[in-house]
Amino acid sequence: MFYQLITGPLLWLSFGIFFVGLGVRVVNYIRGLDWQADRVAYRTYMSLGIKGALRSIVHWLVPFWSVGWRAKPLYTIIFFVFHIGLVVTPLFLYGHAVLLKERWGITWPTIPMPLADILTIGVMVTAVFIIIRRLGLPEVRIVTTCYDYFLILVSVAPFVTGFLAVHQAGDYEFWLYTHILSGELLLILIPVTKLFHVVGFFLSRAQIGMDFGIKRGYKGKGFAW
Amino acid sequence: MPEGILCNKNVVDSKEYLDALLADKSGKQYYEEMRHLEVDKEKLKNTLKASCKSRMRTWLEMCSHCALCGDSCFLYLANRKDPTQVPSYKIQSTLGEIVKHNGDVDNAHMRYCMDVAWSKCTCCNRCGSFCPYGIDMGVMFGYLRGLCFSQGFVPWELKIGTGMHRIYRAQMDVTSTDWVETCEWMADEQQEEWPGLEIPVDKEGADLMYTLNAREPKHYPEDIAEAAILFHIAGENWTVPSEGWEQTSLSMFAGDWGACKMMVESVYGAMDRLKPKRVLGTECGHAHRATVIEGPYWVGRADGRPPVPYLHYTEWVAEALRTGKIKIDPAKRLKIPVTLQDSCNYIRNYGLGDITREIMSYLVEPGYFIEMTPNREHNFCCGGGGGFNGIGMYRKERNVALKVKRDQLLATGAKLVISPCHNCWDAIRDLEEIYEIGIKWSFLKPLLIKMAIIPEHLKPKEEE
Repeated sequence: MFYQLITGPLLWLSFGIFFVGLGVRVVNYIRGLDWQADRVAYRTYMSLGIKGALRSIVHWLVPFWSVGWRAKPLYTIIFFVFHIGLVVTPLFLYGHAVLLKERWGITWPTIPMPLADILTIGVMVTAVFIIIRRLGLPEVRIVTTCYDYFLILVSVAPFVTGFLAVHQAGDYEFWLYTHILSGELLLILIPVTKLFHVVGFFLSRAQIGMDFGIKRGYKGKGFAW
Repeated sequence: MPEGILCNKNVVDSKEYLDALLADKSGKQYYEEMRHLEVDKEKLKNTLKASCKSRMRTWLEMCSHCALCGDSCFLYLANRKDPTQVPSYKIQSTLGEIVKHNGDVDNAHMRYCMDVAWSKCTCCNRCGSFCPYGIDMGVMFGYLRGLCFSQGFVPWELKIGTGMHRIYRAQMDVTSTDWVETCEWMADEQQEEWPGLEIPVDKEGADLMYTLNAREPKHYPEDIAEAAILFHIAGENWTVPSEGWEQTSLSMFAGDWGACKMMVESVYGAMDRLKPKRVLGTECGHAHRATVIEGPYWVGRADGRPPVPYLHYTEWVAEALRTGKIKIDPAKRLKIPVTLQDSCNYIRNYGLGDITREIMSYLVEPGYFIEMTPNREHNFCCGGGGGFNGIGMYRKERNVALKVKRDQLLATGAKLVISPCHNCWDAIRDLEEIYEIGIKWSFLKPLLIKMAIIPEHLKPKEEE
């Protein structure tokens, strides 16, 4: 009964909040752009802007492509291991695909279980590094708030619980339920906290890319991100 | 006493007010009054509502506090990695708090904001290119400066500077008459060496209209003569406007957007009156940003471009060298180690990195040009940008800030740094004065005059 509830209506609710919330974020962001206040002629130079936006996104989406990523190689590795694990594991986990198949008959691509394990361990280990970095480096410590730790915990909880459930460590049902609930909590929190960067990253990078693309574009080369 | 006599929320729009400010030595009374200045919270709230839009609110909210921006900031590096110099911290603890409390902040917070906005950020925009989200704290500090200014919390020199703009349409008290007379004087002075040299004022339909920095007529009139000599050598059909000649904008440094608009309107007005084919600005970075990059938006031009194509001085020089309008005597090319200062305003923010290097290829003997590290769009601010050079109460901080440029210069081993930007030029001059590293610095104009081949017909006729 409880299982039905959390994998039924509650799951729907979580996905609903996730997608609608992110949609609202995207719409509000774009509607709030102001060519004059931002000093970016978005409309007049749309093609120059789009070129700049893509350039800005791609350079930061690929490890070590931007000057910034190359400046901090260790952090870059930690960052990408963390994020790749966070995105790829839940999307292509065999266990999740089975649910899709059972419920809606959708065949979904999956990754092998050992890879899922490695990615999950990657998420957990890098999360620890990120926490240590926050505590250890004075420049990070000064900007870190409790909210930042809370968001790391919320993001990693579904991975820890899922990992324990899959590997039958202790009470399977307990870990399964906490896994589902923490996953749903994460989905709900993403649009309402700064975790909305799942879309915000693209919006913000596109905007700065358009800014530099348009103000530099008709004179110089694109920005060497 | 919430509103001071000198320090208040009013703009400087009368000569009496300006004179009173100037009479207050080092702004002693001004800063004392600032300590009691009341924050108009309602106004601040309304300004935020009207102008703090999704881009900035997203930046403030989404910042993941990763502090990758730390090492990108020359002020953080110059201050031995003081964590309070991390850009993210600087903006979150100032503008971030104002936005979080929706304008409900006190006098002490606004004074803190002023200190950070003018002594811990030069709006060089470098952090924006190192943040994974592309959060540009330089842009936000520019905005914060506007908020501070509207509440009366602005350094004394910049209150004066922006008052000058409002009253004289120039950053210094140079009237239109002073300016035209300086042009005539400079043209006269050159006649012996450059017979026939002219500084044509208000000529309609010229190929080029030249705009510059008020301190050239005020303190360095020879700079105008140098510009005129180079136009003379290049055979340009050029002019200067009697009004709308001042291209700089201390009001941009001050965050006085009203005065910024006035300045740009005055320059664009000259274009309208004289209908030049192109406009050319002097060797100045912030003037270019104010009149060419941001100016169009201040006056509401939806295409974000000035009404007439507007070149930076380096663009004209590169073109003149490329087309042979100015020819360099190969024997006179620089044969000492030379480096180049990339100005944030037209290199990072406008993309002229290739243009300036093209100029170097003409002026410097192959093998003698050495790049700074980092360079081009990733170059560090000279240390004195954004008005930092001119604020007395932050002199100590500015001098510390110069250390990064000092070390960059030392690492090149160069003997000369070419610096086609007034602000960078000043900063490097001060840097040499303070740290004595044995570097020389120069604008392009004097170098070009020394190296150019003078066409026969321009040379003075030998007396019979």
